[in-house]
Amino acid sequence: MSEDSHLLPYAKRADFKVARANELTGRDRRLYRFLEIVPGLAAWGTLLGIVWASIYASFFAAYFIIAFAIYWVLKTIFLSYHVRYNWKRLRHHMALDWERLIARFTYDDYYHLVIFPFYEEPQEVIDGALKGLIAANYDPKKLLVVLAAEGRAGADALAKAQLAEAAYGAQFGSFQVTVHPPDVVGEIAGKGSNVHYALRTVHETVIAPRQISHKKILVSIFDVDTVIYPDYFNCLIWHFMTAKNPYKSAFQPVPLFTNNLWEASAISRVMAMSSTFWQMIMQERPDKAATFSSHSVSYQALYEIGYGQANVVSEDSRIYWNLLLANDGYFDVVSLSYPIAMDATTAASTWGTIKNIYKQHRRWTYGVENWCYLVYHFTKHKGIPLRRRWSIALQQGEGYWSLVTNPIMLFILGWTPIFLGSREFHETVLSYELPIMVRNLLTVAMVGLVFSSIISLSLTPPRPEGYSRFRYIVMALQWIMVPITMIVFSAIPGLDAQTRLMLGRYMGFWVTPKRVQ
Amino acid sequence: MPQEPQIAGMSSRRRTVIFWGLVLIFLLVLPSMIFYTTGYRLSFEDDVTSVVTTGGVYISTQSTDVEVYLDEEQIERPRLFRSAYYIQNIDAGLRRVVVQGEGIQTWVKELSVDSHIVTEAAAFNLPTVPRLRPVTQFQTGAGTAVFFSTSTPALLFANATATEAFTVATSSATSSYVENQEYEFVVSLFGTSTATTSSVFADFIRDMDRFRFITPGEISATTSTTTPVIIERNNIRLTTKGLELYAVWQGRAQDVPYYFCVSSTTIASTTERYGVHVAEAVFAQLGTTTATSTLVAVDNRMCRTEIKLDRLRQDVFLYDFFPGSSDLVLVHLEDGLYVTEIDDRAWQNSQLLYPGTDFRTIVENEVIYIQQGTQYFAVIPEIESN
Repeated sequence: MSEDSHLLPYAKRADFKVARANELTGRDRRLYRFLEIVPGLAAWGTLLGIVWASIYASFFAAYFIIAFAIYWVLKTIFLSYHVRYNWKRLRHHMALDWERLIARFTYDDYYHLVIFPFYEEPQEVIDGALKGLIAANYDPKKLLVVLAAEGRAGADALAKAQLAEAAYGAQFGSFQVTVHPPDVVGEIAGKGSNVHYALRTVHETVIAPRQISHKKILVSIFDVDTVIYPDYFNCLIWHFMTAKNPYKSAFQPVPLFTNNLWEASAISRVMAMSSTFWQMIMQERPDKAATFSSHSVSYQALYEIGYGQANVVSEDSRIYWNLLLANDGYFDVVSLSYPIAMDATTAASTWGTIKNIYKQHRRWTYGVENWCYLVYHFTKHKGIPLRRRWSIALQQGEGYWSLVTNPIMLFILGWTPIFLGSREFHETVLSYELPIMVRNLLTVAMVGLVFSSIISLSLTPPRPEGYSRFRYIVMALQWIMVPITMIVFSAIPGLDAQTRLMLGRYMGFWVTPKRVQ
Repeated sequence: MPQEPQIAGMSSRRRTVIFWGLVLIFLLVLPSMIFYTTGYRLSFEDDVTSVVTTGGVYISTQSTDVEVYLDEEQIERPRLFRSAYYIQNIDAGLRRVVVQGEGIQTWVKELSVDSHIVTEAAAFNLPTVPRLRPVTQFQTGAGTAVFFSTSTPALLFANATATEAFTVATSSATSSYVENQEYEFVVSLFGTSTATTSSVFADFIRDMDRFRFITPGEISATTSTTTPVIIERNNIRLTTKGLELYAVWQGRAQDVPYYFCVSSTTIASTTERYGVHVAEAVFAQLGTTTATSTLVAVDNRMCRTEIKLDRLRQDVFLYDFFPGSSDLVLVHLEDGLYVTEIDDRAWQNSQLLYPGTDFRTIVENEVIYIQQGTQYFAVIPEIESN
């Protein structure tokens, strides 16, 4: 039996796990390089195009900006409706007795392989994650826990893992510490390569020896700051058992970045909750979603593609695209609408927090590398219906384009015709009405922030002792920062990431520091 | 006990309905927003619904503490202490704008409003009672100006107000005061400057006298042998020509200030919209080859390169730009110091800054200094905002 006999046909391609143009040759390399250039070119082209139009085609630019502002208001309404809907569903799911709901299924022979990759995170973060598993309403003996340390983090990381193993290991069905070796050729240091290594190791040390059926294992790949809510595994089992194609599905919870929300600064809270809202929106449009951060998927599905990719930055989404391509374009994201708690990005100082959030979002928005990967393979994989290929490529492309351009267009470039427009334009009613119209439309769009404020307060954990009630007011008012955070922590890091990709200055994996030490 | 959650994920159908509903709203709203922002309005006059076109007026004022009227109707003050009024929804035609306030002179302008176009104007309102800051030789330690009883400050401030407190010393002893450096500076200015009470046209008149017995056809009055004083700011040059004072545009045609230009193409419409003096200035230039000013076409408008300044039929002793402005000119006339606007649409507003026939003026470092007898003052052109 060949080494790759377990792989799905498309996953056997030599370029299936390509990460960069320079890993290819000839025409493929040129195509991939072109695709790496496209997002940055589109973003810069749009932004500079608006500046150009403001100077040389002021009237056109003004009409475009009005259209864009209206589009933004309607988009806000559309997305807010999704958030509100998911909020109701989330609260409903949190209130359900999932244990009773899954009582009708036979799931005793199912295992949950839970992988926590970590780097230099403090012991308390690791402990918190493991305690969360123990506190869950689920038999811990059905949990196969892997604490995946990074070799480049040194002996300290291994010591933390061993300490955790000594403290909690016996309570689980199995507990394994893996150490991902540093400097493996063909990998980039980061979560993806660590998880990849952990999965291969645990296959050899636990799954194969115990002869556990691959179809009876659900893999949950969690960031090490992930603290599950008590019914996570029950909720996961229910969705797995009721999914249309359970082995062709990934299961996505809602990440609430609330572990340290009370200690975090206002900027950090806004960014954390904004990320949560985006995931809540995606929960209601799973057909347009990919996996993000902590999520679950069947071991069988991962085994069929040879696990994830060890050579990419945005490994959490890439694994979904690997699965989608290998399964001929049909791999679902199932929304759990059930939360997991994670850390908001913080640092010891405000400037440190700003830097960390920026770097974290630059890493997230570097997910644009997945678009190049997808489109490259869409030109190769004729087994996926053409319409589906176009639909995914355009929708993903629009997402990355709008992420970078929309905030800048809305809050900065919207005013360029007024400053750069021709003299003829300056004398028109249009020139004077444009800022008033845009301001009014943005004000209407900002009403959505009131709604965000209410929802975020409802998702905030109870106030710990020592924190003033006044902080609730700050938490409600913090949303006025959104226009700034959208530019500074979404658009600019996104543009940074796309520009790096465009110029071939590939990014590595930057580990977001967890919890202020 | 239900077998499944009661709230299912949002159905694809619901999302599709909402999406296309919003697309429909977009398609309906976009044209109406574009029509609105370009000046179209719905009119319900006389129970008839119709679409009308409107223009706007943009008035900038020097103070936030003014009242602005358009055709006798007061305009609501802009928010946040802004000193600019954008008046929307104005039907095309001739509109009268008044900017007035307590303690300031009134600025009045008739402006021609066109559909889809915003007509711009800059109002200025000087204090009705001149405001002076005394510049005395001595000051108290705290910087208060000191007048000696012989200098009769009460008389000097009979028709003016002092912007700063001063004291009147009963003794001529100066040992308890400090020398005022500004005073020294101002005295030296008036001592070395050519600022006099002689006419700025004196050289021209003298030249004219030299050619008194030569027929007009032999030599033009513009061939004066003396070079007129040239003052320039932001590409606008102030200069004399013959017995007149002119503001002349020196910059690029596309940058010419709005008040140099007219958007009408006939002498009749220009007269109606901007006044006969503007029509004459524009159309006289069209028919002459000797005119020193030229006409340039900028964005479908005809723009002059020079505007004659109103000197109220008086002799001019000094002219300069009003401090901080290139649209206003300070002119020292026979009966006082005036500020006049270059903008001559309808008419040029001239406002008296300091009355009198026996003072000298110098503008230095954006400060207007006056010497009256042995006293020196700085004229403060702004009123205090409430």
